[in-house]
Amino acid sequence: MTGFDQAELKLLTDLIQERFGLMFNGIRMEILESRLRPRLRELRLTTLRDYYHYLRFHPDREAEFARLPAMVTNNETYFFRETHQFDLLIHHVIPERRALLRDRPLRLLSAGCSSGEEPYSLSIALHNAGLPLAGMSWEIDACDLNPERIARAHEALYAESSLRACDAEARRRYFTQEAGGFRLKQKYREKVRCFPSNLLAPNGALGWAIYDAILCRNLLIYFSEDAFAAAIGLFARSLAPGGYLFLGHSESLLDRKTSFAPAMLGGAVVYRKLEAA
Amino acid sequence: MSTPAERLAALDAAARGPEREGAILLALEDEALTVRDRAIRLAARYVEPAVLGALVADGEHAVRRNAGLSALERQGPYAVPHLTVMLGASDPELVMFALQSLARIGYPPAGRSILPLLHHADPNVAQSAIEAVGQLRTREAVPALLKLVEGELWLQLAAINALGAIGAAEAVTPLLALVPDSVLAEPAVQALRTIAAPESLEPLLRVLPAVRERALRDPLLLAVAVVIDFHPDPVPLLARAGPELAASAEFVAYLAQALAALPAAGDMDGEGDSLQRAAATLAVAAGIEALEPDLLARLATDADAIWLEGVFHRFPDALAAHRPRLLGHPDPDVRGGVLRAARFEEHELPELYEHLEDTHSRVRAAACYAMGRLELDSTAPLLVERLRRGDRAEQAAAAQALGRLSADALTDLESCLRADADETVLMLALEVLSTCPVPAFEPRVLQLAEDRRPAVRRAGLRAAARVTGARADVLLLRALADRDQATQVDALELMVARGGEKSVAVLVAMLGTSDSLRFHVIRALGQCRAQAGATRLRDLLPQCAPHEQLQIVAALIRIAPPWIGTFLRERLGDSEVEMRRMAAQGLADLAEEHELPVLLPLAEDADWNIRNEVARGLGRLARPVTRQVLLALARDVEPVVAATARAALERLQPEAIRIPA
Repeated sequence: MTGFDQAELKLLTDLIQERFGLMFNGIRMEILESRLRPRLRELRLTTLRDYYHYLRFHPDREAEFARLPAMVTNNETYFFRETHQFDLLIHHVIPERRALLRDRPLRLLSAGCSSGEEPYSLSIALHNAGLPLAGMSWEIDACDLNPERIARAHEALYAESSLRACDAEARRRYFTQEAGGFRLKQKYREKVRCFPSNLLAPNGALGWAIYDAILCRNLLIYFSEDAFAAAIGLFARSLAPGGYLFLGHSESLLDRKTSFAPAMLGGAVVYRKLEAA
Repeated sequence: MSTPAERLAALDAAARGPEREGAILLALEDEALTVRDRAIRLAARYVEPAVLGALVADGEHAVRRNAGLSALERQGPYAVPHLTVMLGASDPELVMFALQSLARIGYPPAGRSILPLLHHADPNVAQSAIEAVGQLRTREAVPALLKLVEGELWLQLAAINALGAIGAAEAVTPLLALVPDSVLAEPAVQALRTIAAPESLEPLLRVLPAVRERALRDPLLLAVAVVIDFHPDPVPLLARAGPELAASAEFVAYLAQALAALPAAGDMDGEGDSLQRAAATLAVAAGIEALEPDLLARLATDADAIWLEGVFHRFPDALAAHRPRLLGHPDPDVRGGVLRAARFEEHELPELYEHLEDTHSRVRAAACYAMGRLELDSTAPLLVERLRRGDRAEQAAAAQALGRLSADALTDLESCLRADADETVLMLALEVLSTCPVPAFEPRVLQLAEDRRPAVRRAGLRAAARVTGARADVLLLRALADRDQATQVDALELMVARGGEKSVAVLVAMLGTSDSLRFHVIRALGQCRAQAGATRLRDLLPQCAPHEQLQIVAALIRIAPPWIGTFLRERLGDSEVEMRRMAAQGLADLAEEHELPVLLPLAEDADWNIRNEVARGLGRLARPVTRQVLLALARDVEPVVAATARAALERLQPEAIRIPA
């Protein structure tokens, strides 16, 4: 149960939902509260309504909105999490699109990439699949709402917790141990471009019909209905015809009218952009 | 086939038109959860309970029945008369639904109408009725529930839980009879824990060491701790029981295990944490010496274990008896813990002095802390010495202790305020002076309030704010223009805390500026409740930026000048919804009964936040004449509004349930 006034909390969470599409309940609400309290103290504000007004009207509101993602997101993740979908990409999607990839690189997007663990894992998987030897090139775009996470992705220096699924051999092969943790080797960082982006912003930084596949896993579960639909619309625009969308296990487009058709790849459901869309 | 989003939009559109009810009822059957959820909200607001009751009565369509039930529950007290009628239905399932809904709505007067069902022939109905009177805390049900405790097993369990929820002290004896040798022992212990009757302490203390199964022993320990907490004088009982508990190695080992237990992952109700506290309470209160070193070491080292200090202070006798030996303990953390937990008297000061020479700094810091609690001026020189020469922990403890002494005792602080003093020492000394001002140091404090180092300057300002006279006023005023913005805002807050007409005059004068500080100045005037600034704030309103305008209204609400009612009514006509919301908030805070005609029409406002403020305001006024409006708001489509309205209704005298014809 929250210590904040419920009406004031609704004012704020509605605003966050409007701006970032994120919804709050249960444990996420508790995390939000624990992060807001010190911020209110810093700004010398007393109530959530004060903070809401600050975000709506204060001259420094845009700077505050820029800070907000770090407070309202908690995308703790790790290397090689749920790699089954990487296998699908390598063994099904790439062979299917090989003809297209003769003249251009494979283009992938990791949406909601947090501090880079997913796109870098993908980069490692593509290296290990022998794409360079086959003369194929790739570009991985990776975006996240939280600029602080993106800064960490650029730094590519990870704590032990991010490597929880890496055995000793993987650590040795892909990382260099430093005083502050484990730094990903340069060759796996090349061709990965991390940038901050709000998927719901009207002029987002994603390209138009350029990606062969988009991975957006375990992000949309936090989105409101409207934000979910908007993000799926954005992915549909950004994917090349016939491109694939990979969602998390608990996210689904079934029972929704979208530009995607479900497809079974290797026993898993993925979503393929309709050619005509 | 349309998408859920399209059906949602169609429902919202229909909800504004003449076909509203039909559209809502149809949407209650929608296959998409999001559409059904919206329909339930709208049904709660716009569909009469009788219509929803018919959906519930029609068992053919499970989705519609569940949706109808959810809508009825959302209607809260408004649906209670209809649900009460449903209690007389011939379909037992329907009666059960009604009972469960009444229990969840939680309107206490509904409990009386449930009493006849406690002995219903259908055991499922009887069980639901028992659970409902428990949740509604219906005291009139206690005699019947006591009889049911002796009845058949199925209903016994529900009756035990209900007696616990009601807090029926008369149930203690029959519940104790079920412990430990009964299949109902665990729920009986849970109920005894909730009732927390003093008379249950002795029998529970007798049973606790005899029970070996953790599944029952843990709840028993929790129950004992809760009863100790609520007992007016548990000490004599615990003193009697203590030696026997301490003599059982098996029981002491159990308590040690409970103390070491970490809350399990997913332990959302904090039961693991509670068990630790329960074990600590019993160990300290009963004086189980073998466990004291661990508890004291934890107090000394774990910042989250500060609650242990309170436990030792509540039950000081055992620790007092064991103190000499524990102060000589080889573990410095145990020694530090004793110094924090034990009570010392003035004549025991030499003992504390000895520990100021301990080889471990945590022990020395704890000795400073203990000296501070004595509040003896004679300790000042030693504490100042520690402030100057101790390590960080000692310095902080010494400063805290010095802040509890009289101003006359603090002359030795002079050495800490010199120009060559270490910055940490200087700042801690200033912290002491901000708690306990010393006239002799005022010139130096005022000087340090202008120090070139921002941190020292801010500490100096805090101390200067306690100095009387115009020079301190001037300093604070100057600090409002400090190059460091944090210092500016500190100065503003200090002026507010300092209060007085002069501060208000300065703040009002500062309203003329238009820099970023004005936002804080407006807030400060509100915090001061500065009547003298009210008119100036009102006049400033049209010239300000929106974020300042809202703060002006917020400040005026706090100040509450005589014309505030008119001012807020004018703001209700503003085109900016946030201004209207703020005005509604002000009216909710300040409106008097004669202003109800202003507040009541806002209950129909399109904005949920304004409706919420109306519900809050009506709750504050608590006038029976507003019951119907609150009942409507309690069915609001927005759950926050409905919850506020229900809380407001609880402040009105409960009204007998009027059964619809």
